[in-house]
Amino acid sequence: MNSFMNKFVAALAISACSAFASVDPEMEGMEVVSRDNGTYLIGSPTYYFDRALGAGGIHSESELWTPRKLNYRLLFNRMSVLPSWDPIEAPSVWMKTGNELGDLIYRDFLMTHNERPVNRTPILEAGVRTPSFHGFWATFRLFQDDHYTFYSAWEYRRHVVDGSFSFFGENWPMFSSAYGGLGYTNDFVNASVLAGMEYMWFFTESSRWIPVQYKPRIEARADVGNFTASLVFEDGEYQNKTKKETGERKELNGSIVYNCGESCKRGMLQLSAGLSFRAVDDSGVVYTSLDNDLVMWPFLEMRVRPNENLKFDVVFGVNDRDWLVQDSVEYGIPVYDRMKITFGGKNISGTRLNPIADTYEYFDGDTISLTAAGRMNLMQASIRLDDTLTNFFGFGARGSLWAEYGAETFDVDKYVVDGIYTFRHGDVGRINSWIKGVTGEFWINLWYRDLLKFTALTGFEHIEGKEKRFEIQPSEFFAEFNADWLIKKTFRISHSIRYRSDAKWNLRSKKPYVVKGDWYWDATFEQRFPKYGLSLAGSIIQALGKEVIETPNGDYSRVRFYCTAKKAF
Amino acid sequence: MKKFIAILTLGLVSLLHAEDPLAFRNDSAAVANDISFSHFSVFVEGGEIYPMGDMMDAVKNTLYGGVGIHYAYWDNVDGVVMFQYAYFKPRPDIYYDGVHQFMGRVGVDWRWNVIHPVVLGGGFTCSWTRADSKVHLYDEPGGTLTDNETEFGWYARISLPVFKYKEYSVGFHIMWEELWTYPEASDMLSAGITFERCLW
Repeated sequence: MNSFMNKFVAALAISACSAFASVDPEMEGMEVVSRDNGTYLIGSPTYYFDRALGAGGIHSESELWTPRKLNYRLLFNRMSVLPSWDPIEAPSVWMKTGNELGDLIYRDFLMTHNERPVNRTPILEAGVRTPSFHGFWATFRLFQDDHYTFYSAWEYRRHVVDGSFSFFGENWPMFSSAYGGLGYTNDFVNASVLAGMEYMWFFTESSRWIPVQYKPRIEARADVGNFTASLVFEDGEYQNKTKKETGERKELNGSIVYNCGESCKRGMLQLSAGLSFRAVDDSGVVYTSLDNDLVMWPFLEMRVRPNENLKFDVVFGVNDRDWLVQDSVEYGIPVYDRMKITFGGKNISGTRLNPIADTYEYFDGDTISLTAAGRMNLMQASIRLDDTLTNFFGFGARGSLWAEYGAETFDVDKYVVDGIYTFRHGDVGRINSWIKGVTGEFWINLWYRDLLKFTALTGFEHIEGKEKRFEIQPSEFFAEFNADWLIKKTFRISHSIRYRSDAKWNLRSKKPYVVKGDWYWDATFEQRFPKYGLSLAGSIIQALGKEVIETPNGDYSRVRFYCTAKKAF
Repeated sequence: MKKFIAILTLGLVSLLHAEDPLAFRNDSAAVANDISFSHFSVFVEGGEIYPMGDMMDAVKNTLYGGVGIHYAYWDNVDGVVMFQYAYFKPRPDIYYDGVHQFMGRVGVDWRWNVIHPVVLGGGFTCSWTRADSKVHLYDEPGGTLTDNETEFGWYARISLPVFKYKEYSVGFHIMWEELWTYPEASDMLSAGITFERCLW
């Protein structure tokens, strides 16, 4: 096969592999709602458990700090994309609105108050990024996701805060954010300063939702040559109206990183290094604290690539309290012209998955330690096969074995029931015995030019261990069928139908909480106008499946529809 | 080896493009084939809406009116955007007279040669409702509508142009619309007249 055909086949194979991501998420950071190739349990937009099948270990991806997440939001101990303050890259104006399906409208005339279902709630987003004027641009964005809110708001949360705790409506959404700012971009510099206000509820180890209002929140970023820096100031106001408690946290956080540049990336040894930090000043009751009010986290990233088939990656961070190493090795062997086998190994060791998070939580007179003595060690070995049999069909498979010692968990002392919520006392702890897992995944891809990309994939995972004190017992099986149609290059239909088996929360309630497995269907329909840079899209999410609460103390995950209009300048 | 490098390079390009949902505007072939808005028309229409199924027990038939646009999308397919208004009066004894309903729709009309001049259409609909009342008795039947309520759904439509003169045309249409309400969907049928003017 000639070089051109190699590239052509490779491009198509990649496109086919990434087809599953094509259903539009309701908001940046909510892509997990449309994923079931693992265990993805959403409690609200600001809290979810996300673990891909085959990832190894029993933690969720968002619990683990990595340099890739430097611009993510720290929501208690999770690194979260949402609410994203990443300026939208393309000069454009956009608007999004949607609603959970199931309002009554005129059916309200036919039923009594007691027969009514819980109200359904909307999402809203509007924003603009101006074209560049001599490199300068401005942006504004307002976004709020009211899904996963109404039941818990009316039963509990609205009593805790003053007013509706959001920019719009009275659904007490889990976040409501607005910012505006200026930026400057040229070939050498990309810098921005954003300022705004934000309402947020974050989920803690005690299983509480803690409200905080950032007033203001200011974020500055700069990419200059090979250096990247960010600085954030947050003035967070905390309150619990029922307990007559108030508090304030002024926080300064950020990072500075030297990145491996273009010439560096061509070399055998690629090095990046940086420093992430947080400093807080607490007064009153803020429910959590950070040891010494400060964390400095220097880290180093290294890639060694002796040849095109072999690469080693290491991320290492250390400070006076913690250390964390994440390393991996990959060796790829082209077997035939269209087939490749990749052997991989991964290791994560450290004293804490997220070393920049707070260290204590305070709950009803109890101090919950968010750090555990000792360390964890996760090892994984994997083998992956990719084969593009023809220029319209390919398949692949991946299998792995993993073992983890010292996995982070929560040692529960007691549970407290308060209305619809169950809270817990205790401390973050470890499972000081081996947990072992075996995983297998298989996929096929089918594509035809840019008209159709189809992927079918399935996977299983079996986990064994003496102590099953996992926060989550992950689901053991999934199957997905995804297809993207692009008709006449202007009309896109992306859809995904998926099944995930049962998953189980073991430690957030007195009895384990089982999230039953189910089928889900998501779809996006998009009219594109390439000449005008215009897009009109409608998406339906979480259809078919039973509407359930996927996280204890979370809210219902409901079928919803939303539409988006975007116009490039 | 080249294949491996190509996979990495194109994978990176693919990821970068994925970050820009409007990247399709940079596809020169797609831009060249884009005939959208090559013709454009505006229309006004009006008619009557008939509740169907158990909606017949909830509200009475009512009149509606609205405006919309047609624009070329493909050779035989037009894009449609509609905005309509109706005032629904409840059949049961409710503490207010009626409900304002605004409807927005986005869809397509397909001029299928086989059934010419009949045009088939379909798309998504969004209805925004608010009771005609300043009193908010949430616990009473109809109380939820005193606050704003919104619901999405789909529609299917058949249009029949019966008269055409220069850039003007007049036709009939029948539309089935379903809102995804709880505990069951709410269906309505509407029939009316469209008066349309082609601007280009």
